[in-house]
Amino acid sequence: MAANRSQGSYYTLFLAAATVLCAGIFFWSGGMGKLLFVVGAAGIAGSVFGMLSIKSLEGKTALKPSPLVMKLIGAGASALGWVITLFGMHLTPSVSGRILLALVGIGVSLFGIIVVLPAAFNKNAVWKS
Amino acid sequence: MKSMTRICLFICLVALGLAIGVAAYAQAPAAAPAAAAAAPPPSAATAELAAAAAKAPATTDLAKGDPGGTTTGTVNDVPVSDSKTGLTLGDTANQVGQNKIAINFVWTLVTGYLVMFMQAGFAMVESGLTRVKNANHTYMMNFFVYTVGLFSYWLIGFAIQQGGSAGNGNLGGLNSLSVEHTTTLFGKTWGLFGGTGFFLSGHTYDVGVMVLFLFEMVFMDTALTIVTGACAERWKFLAFAMSSSIMGALTYPLYANWAWGGGWLSQLGANNQLGHGYCDFAGSGVVHAVGGITALAVSLIVGPRIGKFNRDGSSNPIIGHDVSAVLIGCFILAFGWFGFNPGSTLGASAAGNLRIGTIAVDTMLAGCTGTFGALLYMWIKNGKVDYSMSGNGLLAGLVAITAPSGFVSTVGACIIGLIAGVLVCLSCSFIENVMKVDDPVGAISVHGTCGLWGVLSVGLLADGTSNYGGAWNGVNGSVTGLFYGDASQLAAQLVGISTLIGFVFTFSFVVNLVIEFFVGQRVSVETEIAGLDLPEMGQLGYPEFVLKPEPDVMLHAEKEYAVA
Repeated sequence: MAANRSQGSYYTLFLAAATVLCAGIFFWSGGMGKLLFVVGAAGIAGSVFGMLSIKSLEGKTALKPSPLVMKLIGAGASALGWVITLFGMHLTPSVSGRILLALVGIGVSLFGIIVVLPAAFNKNAVWKS
Repeated sequence: MKSMTRICLFICLVALGLAIGVAAYAQAPAAAPAAAAAAPPPSAATAELAAAAAKAPATTDLAKGDPGGTTTGTVNDVPVSDSKTGLTLGDTANQVGQNKIAINFVWTLVTGYLVMFMQAGFAMVESGLTRVKNANHTYMMNFFVYTVGLFSYWLIGFAIQQGGSAGNGNLGGLNSLSVEHTTTLFGKTWGLFGGTGFFLSGHTYDVGVMVLFLFEMVFMDTALTIVTGACAERWKFLAFAMSSSIMGALTYPLYANWAWGGGWLSQLGANNQLGHGYCDFAGSGVVHAVGGITALAVSLIVGPRIGKFNRDGSSNPIIGHDVSAVLIGCFILAFGWFGFNPGSTLGASAAGNLRIGTIAVDTMLAGCTGTFGALLYMWIKNGKVDYSMSGNGLLAGLVAITAPSGFVSTVGACIIGLIAGVLVCLSCSFIENVMKVDDPVGAISVHGTCGLWGVLSVGLLADGTSNYGGAWNGVNGSVTGLFYGDASQLAAQLVGISTLIGFVFTFSFVVNLVIEFFVGQRVSVETEIAGLDLPEMGQLGYPEFVLKPEPDVMLHAEKEYAVA
C-alpha cells in the first residue's frame, strides 16, 4: 500500500495529541492540566489504533514471525545486566569490585543483545528459506 | 580739624581691612576640610576612567573613519547607568560580566549552528551509501528527522533533559531550570528527570535557556539521524516518524539528563566516590552510542534488506550509488564536529574554557588517525582502499574522541582515533557476519561501537590536566583516567556503558516493538523491490535515471572487496 492519506492523518493526530498531552503536564497543577492530559492521551490512543487499523493494508513484508518469548528473554537479559551493575555499586565499596561487577553486568547485557536477540530474529528469517 | 578727621578715617579703614584679613586668614584652615568632605579627591581607578574618557576620540574624529581599527571600541562604548555621575567602576564591572556571557552565548550559538549543519552531512553520507531507487526516501528521512526531533524536544524532551540543570555559570546561571525529580535508593539521591522547560515557557522564557536549548537540540537531532542510516532502504516512513518522535521526546532526553542534566550518572562521583562521576564531554555516549544502540534495536526488528543474506548465511555487499556524496558528507560532518566538541564547553570565556584549542586539535587528530586505521586495515586486508570504510574511519575517530576530547592530550587523541578506525571495520564485519544484522551505512558500528569505546577511553586516558572552574560534576580536581592514576573513573565509565547497553537498548527495543505491533516497521516486499522512492515519497530521487533491474542476488561488486 505504501504511504497514503490515512497514515498522514493519523500521524497528524498523534502530533496534535502529544502537544495537548504535554500541555497537560505543563499545567498539571491546575484543573485544566489534568483535562488536557486525558484528552491528549485519548488522542494518542486514537491515533495508534487508527494506525493499527490500516497496518494490514501495507501488504506482505519480508519478515516472518519470530518467537516472542526469545525476544523478551533477550531484552530481559539486557536489562538484567544493567541491574547487576547498579546493585554492584551498592554491594561493594571497592573500586576493583565495582569494576568487576560492572563488567559482569555488561557481559550479561551483551549476551542478550548479541546472542539471544539475533537468534530470535534469525530463527525464521526469510533469507533462510 | 578736617585733616585730623581724614587721618582717623584712613586709620579706621586700614584697621578694618587688617581685621577682615586676619579673620579670613583665621577661617581659611577650617574651610578646607569642609570642601574636602563635600567632594573627596578622585581615586586612581576613577582618575584612570576619567583620563580614558578624555583621551577617547571625539565624534568628529570618528566621522573621519577608522581604517586601522584603532579608535573603534573605546570607553565611549561602555554604557553609563547615570549620566550625571558619568562612567563608574560599577558600570565597567557590569560590562565585563555581560561581555563574558555575550562571548559564551555567541560561542555556544555559533558552534550549535555548525552542529546543525551536520544534518546535511548525515543526509549525504546515508543517501550516498544507499541505492538510487531509495535516494529520495533516505534524504527525506534525514530531512524530516530534524523537524520531528525539534518539535518533540521543544514539547517535552528539553524539560526532561535539562529541567533540573541550573547553575551553569557560563550561560548566566540558568536558574530557572530548577526542578530535578529524584528518588532515594541505597541511601543516595538519584536524579531521574527534569521538570521545567516544557514549551520553553513560564520562567524558562529566558535568554540563557534559549541558547542552551538550541545547542542541546542539535545534539539530540544528531542521535536521531543515526537510526535512519541503519534502517535505510526498508523502513516505513510512518514508523520512522513515530520512532523518531518518541526517541526525541523520551529515549535521548532521559539518558542525557542522567549524564548532563544533573542526573544520577553525573553524580556517581559525589554520591558513590567513582571518580568525577560519568564523564562524557561532548557525547560519545549520550549522542552517538544512544543513536547507535537504538539503531541496533530497530535494525533487529526491521530485519535485513531483501538480497542481503544468502541461504547459507553469507552476505552480499550492496553498494551505494554516490561516492562523492559520501565523502563530501564526511567532510561536512568533520567540519561540524568543530562545533560538536569545542562547543561543548558552553563558553569560550572563563572557567577553563580556553581549553577549546586543545579540544579542537584533539578532534582533528582523532579523525585523522581514525581514517588511517580504517583505510590501512582495508588496504592490508583486501588489497584495495575502500572509500566507504575510509569515510567511516574518519567518523569513527570523531565519534570516539567526542567523550574524551575535553580531558585527553593530543597523543591520547591519536591513540583513541586509531583504535576506533580499526574497531569500526571489525565491528561492521561482526554485526553483518555473526549477528546477521543489516546496517547499510555502518551506523551501528560507527556510532554505537565507537561511541562506547569513546566513553571507555575517558576512564583510561584522561590525563588530569583539564580544569573547568576547578571541578567537574561537583567533584573537585581534574578528570583522571586509569593510566594516569584514578581507577575509580574507569568504574564510573563502565557504569555508563552498562546503562547504555542495558537500559537504553532495552527501552528502545521495547518502544520499537510496540511501534511494530501498532504501525509496522517495514515496507511491503513490492515496495522494497521497486525502491522506496515512488511508493513512499511519490517521486524518484533521480527521475532522469534509467533504473536497471536488480540481479537475482544483489552482487554488485567483487565479494572480497566488501567489508564483510
